[in-house]
Amino acid sequence: MSETPRQITLQEWDRGYERLQAAGVSQPTYGGPLGRHVDEGDARLLKLRFDNSPAALRLWNFLLTEEDRLRAARDNGKKLVGAMKDLGTVPVMAYSLDNLVAFYPDGAWWIPCVMEVNSGLLQIADSLGIDESFCPVRAMLGAFVTEAHFPIPDLLTCSVGATCDDFSAIAQRLNGLGYPILWWEIPHRRAPEDNEEGVHLPGGFSAPRGQIEFVKAELERVRIVLQDLAGRSLDDEALARGIVKANRVRELLARLREVVFTATPCPMPALEMLIAEMLAIHFCSDQDETIAVLQKLLDEVHRRVAAGTGYSSVQAARVFWVNPVADLQVMNLLEDCGGRICGTEYLLAHALDPIPPDVPPMEALAQMALADPMVGSAVDRAARIVAEIRRFGAEAVIVSRIPGASHCALEGEILGEIVREECGLPVLEIEVPPLTDAVYPSLRTRLEALVETVANRRSR
Amino acid sequence: MMYAGIDAGSRAIKVVLIGEDGLEVVAKGQVDQGVEQDRLACRLFEKVLADAGVGRSQVRRIIATGYGRNAVSIADTTITEITCHAVGVRQLVPAARTVIDIGGQDSKLVRLDGNGRVRDFAMNDRCAAGTGRFLEVVADRLGLSLGDLGPMAAQSRSPATISSMCVVFAETEIIGLLAAGRACEDIVAGVQTAIAARIVAMAGRNVEAPVIFTGGVARISGMETALQTALGQPVAISPEPQMTGALGAALLARRQQDSY
Repeated sequence: MSETPRQITLQEWDRGYERLQAAGVSQPTYGGPLGRHVDEGDARLLKLRFDNSPAALRLWNFLLTEEDRLRAARDNGKKLVGAMKDLGTVPVMAYSLDNLVAFYPDGAWWIPCVMEVNSGLLQIADSLGIDESFCPVRAMLGAFVTEAHFPIPDLLTCSVGATCDDFSAIAQRLNGLGYPILWWEIPHRRAPEDNEEGVHLPGGFSAPRGQIEFVKAELERVRIVLQDLAGRSLDDEALARGIVKANRVRELLARLREVVFTATPCPMPALEMLIAEMLAIHFCSDQDETIAVLQKLLDEVHRRVAAGTGYSSVQAARVFWVNPVADLQVMNLLEDCGGRICGTEYLLAHALDPIPPDVPPMEALAQMALADPMVGSAVDRAARIVAEIRRFGAEAVIVSRIPGASHCALEGEILGEIVREECGLPVLEIEVPPLTDAVYPSLRTRLEALVETVANRRSR
Repeated sequence: MMYAGIDAGSRAIKVVLIGEDGLEVVAKGQVDQGVEQDRLACRLFEKVLADAGVGRSQVRRIIATGYGRNAVSIADTTITEITCHAVGVRQLVPAARTVIDIGGQDSKLVRLDGNGRVRDFAMNDRCAAGTGRFLEVVADRLGLSLGDLGPMAAQSRSPATISSMCVVFAETEIIGLLAAGRACEDIVAGVQTAIAARIVAMAGRNVEAPVIFTGGVARISGMETALQTALGQPVAISPEPQMTGALGAALLARRQQDSY
């Protein structure tokens, strides 16, 4: 099928799926009509509009079947590693061993959003004393209690230190419920002082050699525990192979981003790009399939660019988006209002950079861990955002906040001010709760006004 | 030929009709918002035309703006109130660099460039604490009309501190202040100060003068003083502040026609 790119409803996709089947288009084992996920409780899908390519269908089905893969992995004798908070480091180590599968239990924060708050996870967190004054990641506690959304991991790791206080408190509560956690510390990244040896990090940052050595030592502790769990050695050679594979995912995402953010018309909607980028950190519990899914998306994007087709008109406002949203339908709103995605920073920018291939593996992983936007200052993060805005030629910036996420409340204003000063672009700050229905008209007004502002600026 | 702007706000619908040259307001009108938004807007539009002796066929283009803009079926297109207020203010006060628009249920701060175009803007989030709704709640609680609030606030010697960040909690706080014997004028003045503080927080740094105040709340006396105090610089009320959005919409209708 090579239809003109369109955003279609779930019902349209289910009819499209029948046509795909009739046309003999092969689907992976986890494929099928999207409607079945609604039957399983993902009611928010009914509000979304999806890209109409088979590649996008595969992406969605891949995302929404992670739990099945985790349970199958356990049935096949593999051990499950629940990596928490580090955003991209421990999974690379775990996937270097062929009998380990890693995933992010903290990704459960999206479950109440996709299930329209019907999952009951937040109420369980409430009952455990972790109420709505905490980050939405508290939904993870409910998922552990119900065991309904992922199997309980054989090992839990969690990075602490320069991570948000809310998350540490939630993970400590989980620990208190009887789930042992391997804590490892990540320091707040800082620039080296005059008397310190400095190390260049991915993303253009730098850190003192002492911080790298500290993180390496922490990751060595993780390595030992992973080896014990797997019952086999995780030597540098295996790690190097794991890094090559992780870099393959990153390379595909880098190419996907480059094409999508620079092509006109825009060949892939903002929503599918958000889902695709998230694969960089968690691989959706299958690294090989992640590579296949991203390759298909990239092929589709190349096909559309070659055909000159896409979503946006030439006039579409080129918008850079900061932070993921809780309610996915807000990403649809961007195209609805006459915008297009033109750069993103979803707090995982470091997981989109190649892990340095020319240094010993543990050094490379330590460097990457320290390049995480969340372990540095907001000013560092803004510097990277400004560089990306310039690179992709964005004309406006949206900084979305997640209610309750402590870093959002503090960082948004700083990022906005720096972007305004450095780039002279309009910056729109929006708060996106898990269900935006009540504030949807107001959000639409803001996005429309941002697009109008871009159009007016062009006419100068 | 003529051009019309319809501002379907949360509290009131406003219509402005301008002539071919765009310099003269031919007619205007206002009606309270209600359940049947489209019908109210259409009836007001027809009334404004009738009062001005203008036939429907003489109106070349209509733009709707405001909270209920998408419900106005007679409009040729819609444009957000942020852009419309900027254009309306530019027409009335060409030197304006900042527009503060406080309406019934939202508030906005719009930064303009030297040509009067929107440079950047901020809008209140889901809370009503920086909007006209806050004043309505207070007026209702104190048994006053909206028009009474300004004169009453002017009598205050010591405005109360309203610290709640939410209208619902603020109402509770006001009940507590009344129970403690605090004078109504101090409470009203305190609410005006609280609204102004919310606007300033939304604005951040670098609010460039001249600052022009629009929207229905600008008609409540004392609010511009509260904003001036909070911002630390003069704030001027736009001529006919409630009509600014509709005027901007009418002007944009004329501009759009020019570009066809």
